[in-house]
Amino acid sequence: MQHFQVDLTNCDKEPIHIPGKVQPHGFLVSVSSANLLITYISQNAGHFIGINAKDLLGKHINELSVAINATAPAEQLSQLLNVGKLNKSFENINPFRIDINSEAWYVIINPSGNQLVLEFEPAESNLALDVQKVIGRSVTEILSGRNLETLLTNAAAEVKKVIAYDRVMIYRFNEDGHGEVVAEVKNDDLEPFFGLHYPASDIPRQARELYKINLTRIIADVHAEDAPIITFQEDGAPLDLTHSGLRAVSPIHIQYLKNMGVASSFSISLMAHGELWGLVACHNYSPRFINYKARDAAKLIGQLLSSALEYRQDEEDTEKLQQLIAAAEAVSGNLKNYGNLQEALVAGKTTIKDITEAAGAAVIFNGAITTIGHTPTEKQITDIAGWLQANMSDAIYYTNRFPEIHTAARAYSDTASGIMACSLSKDLSELIIWFKPEQLTSISWAGKPDKPVEKGEDGLLYLNPRQSFEAWTEIVKHTSDRWSNEEVSAVVKVREEIIYAINRKANEIRLLNERLQLAYEELDTFSYTISHDLRTPLSSIKSYSEFLLQSNKSLDDNARRILERVVNGADKMNFLIQEILNYTRVGRADVKYHKIDMAALLKEVTGEVMNALNPPNLKLVIGDTPNIYGDQVMITQVFTNLINNAVKYSSRVNSGLVEVKGVVENNETIYTVSDNGVGIDVNYFSRVFELFKRMDNVKDFEGTGVGLAIVKRIIEKHQARIWFDSKLKVGTVFYVAFRNL
Amino acid sequence: MSAPDIFYVEDDTDFAFIMQQAVKEVDDKVSISIIENGIDALEMLHQLTTNSVKPKLILLDLNLPGLSGLDLVRRIREIPYLKYVPVIFFTTSENPKDIKASMEFGANAYLTKPSGYLNLISCLRSLHDFWFTKHLTVN
Repeated sequence: MQHFQVDLTNCDKEPIHIPGKVQPHGFLVSVSSANLLITYISQNAGHFIGINAKDLLGKHINELSVAINATAPAEQLSQLLNVGKLNKSFENINPFRIDINSEAWYVIINPSGNQLVLEFEPAESNLALDVQKVIGRSVTEILSGRNLETLLTNAAAEVKKVIAYDRVMIYRFNEDGHGEVVAEVKNDDLEPFFGLHYPASDIPRQARELYKINLTRIIADVHAEDAPIITFQEDGAPLDLTHSGLRAVSPIHIQYLKNMGVASSFSISLMAHGELWGLVACHNYSPRFINYKARDAAKLIGQLLSSALEYRQDEEDTEKLQQLIAAAEAVSGNLKNYGNLQEALVAGKTTIKDITEAAGAAVIFNGAITTIGHTPTEKQITDIAGWLQANMSDAIYYTNRFPEIHTAARAYSDTASGIMACSLSKDLSELIIWFKPEQLTSISWAGKPDKPVEKGEDGLLYLNPRQSFEAWTEIVKHTSDRWSNEEVSAVVKVREEIIYAINRKANEIRLLNERLQLAYEELDTFSYTISHDLRTPLSSIKSYSEFLLQSNKSLDDNARRILERVVNGADKMNFLIQEILNYTRVGRADVKYHKIDMAALLKEVTGEVMNALNPPNLKLVIGDTPNIYGDQVMITQVFTNLINNAVKYSSRVNSGLVEVKGVVENNETIYTVSDNGVGIDVNYFSRVFELFKRMDNVKDFEGTGVGLAIVKRIIEKHQARIWFDSKLKVGTVFYVAFRNL
Repeated sequence: MSAPDIFYVEDDTDFAFIMQQAVKEVDDKVSISIIENGIDALEMLHQLTTNSVKPKLILLDLNLPGLSGLDLVRRIREIPYLKYVPVIFFTTSENPKDIKASMEFGANAYLTKPSGYLNLISCLRSLHDFWFTKHLTVN
């Protein structure tokens, strides 16, 4: 005996097309296509025609005909078979009416391999209605549905009218094979199944294949005992009943129906694009047979519904796709019109969120997070971004079960069970993330999918069908709606547009920088020229004033004082101009790197500074003086300024102390110039190196506010670094780190 | 036709005026004439040469209309009669290139213009002492 894997695909292995039995409401006779001799016959045939079925085996079909009705021509069945063989189709023959014991029966003929299978079933169904009449009206009703949902509900209602089953449901198979009841019409006393989901294993793969071949399927009485098919052939190859309407039902399925309390079942296949889209599933709680013509009518309804829903589904899909495409185009347009990326993506009427069916979206760009719609908190988004950076291998990533993959996300599965991310930069630091919430509807499965496997009575490892149809509700945790292909392609498209926009912006910035650089250079040249030209008239102002003072003896004291002020002003201005010239000169000069003897340089600079300022009670200490590389003149300027400041601003404290020393560290040589002077107010920290900026607490000290600006400029020219620590009335330490070449 | 003691070529009329006053302040017996462009200056020097008179000192600005100060000193040195007249540059430029060129072209000294009238007087005093007193005794 073949050993089955014990899992949910167990049913998939069951050979349901060769059950070796038929349902007992009719009987089956199979003849060899070549000589019309009876090869197979169902045991119950005898019951209907009053002879032993076994006796007919090996006999010509005409003998069966005689046995059925001695008054009718003996050739009536063989003629049918020959006509069908000639036409290579029995479509126009089926169903053929005969009388058995003065009751009306149908014969339905189908070929099966080298056999022709004749199925006999009652022509009367226990339906009072004239099915054919009802159909025309039904079709009109069904097709009046404007959308898919009403279309399906209408169809269920019309099918119920036609065949009068207690419950008519429409199942829809989802991508993963699991089914969902999408429409239901039932008797009021029945418990609703609408919205229930069924595991994919409920209707196994090979059953779905048969549904594609036989568009209707009836199980007239679940509790009736099947009739075995017998044959005289020794090898006993089972008869293939793929096309048979009487084919007995899998015991697993029978058990399943019994568990539900269903006595009779009927189904109509719904096809879309050649695939099984779903089923119209009809349940009756007492045995019910509907005849071939009623089934054919139902099949017609199914086919009409199939083409309608194919069209409607396509229409709805297309409409959805159009909406996504329109949104993607609107966002792309925004990218061209808005100055800033975040605004373009979230501020417009159509936002980045709308290019998918997500509930929310976040844009992480330039270190900022911008959100729209329902999203996790910024902190949680940062967490997601971190996870994506570590795990994303493609430009686009998506899942509808994120909390199952990243357990920390369980804390916010309500907003982000589904995420889709696309990267905007190579290092993944810039992302757009879309969020889909957990499916809030608690989905009821028709039984626990993890129900333990039980051993069947016959020792086969069959999965026991659900013992109860009491639906238990399982919230499908940590799962959102799926991301459709349309959503993914919209994201891919928009991502390209965004990256193009970013690159364009980067290019613009680069050009702007180049232009700025040029402008700076021009400004330097301009400042230099202007300053230079200003000196001549300034010099005249001073000279004329002094000349007046010197030569004009008639001036009174007041006039003299005013002229002296003019001279003073001119001097100050001259000094400032000189400083600006010095500052712009740094910008114009190229750095020529030489090894600088720092001991000598500092000795000279400190000597000059101490000489010029001559502070009382100030001690100046020079520590280690490692040599550095730089432009001798500029570096002299740097230390002259720093030491001059240190001495100047600590010249009025009781025991001023200025210390200059250098230390070599890794790739840099860091010099510090520290003092215990007036210090810098923390509010001015950001403006220390700005041109002409002087702090309030140093108004009493001489200075122009150019010194540190020059220092900063020189340091930048050297690609060195400068920074400082300072506290009011405690002192200041300036650090300068030069690169070691 | 007589020659001035100081032959001053300067296009900045303000500075020229201050210079005139300063010279007068230092020594009012010293005469000074001011010429505003290089070409006129050269022509006038030729005339003086023709009349066999020459200034005791020539002061030149660097940037002059017509003929630059550097060109002018070269042309002056080409006139044998003026070959030994002291030529001093008096300018705002501190550019070392200008200083070097002026020496190569035959100037005797290079002074940057002092700032203000009082500084100019001090400057002129020391010049006067050297060129008009000591220098003469040396020669």
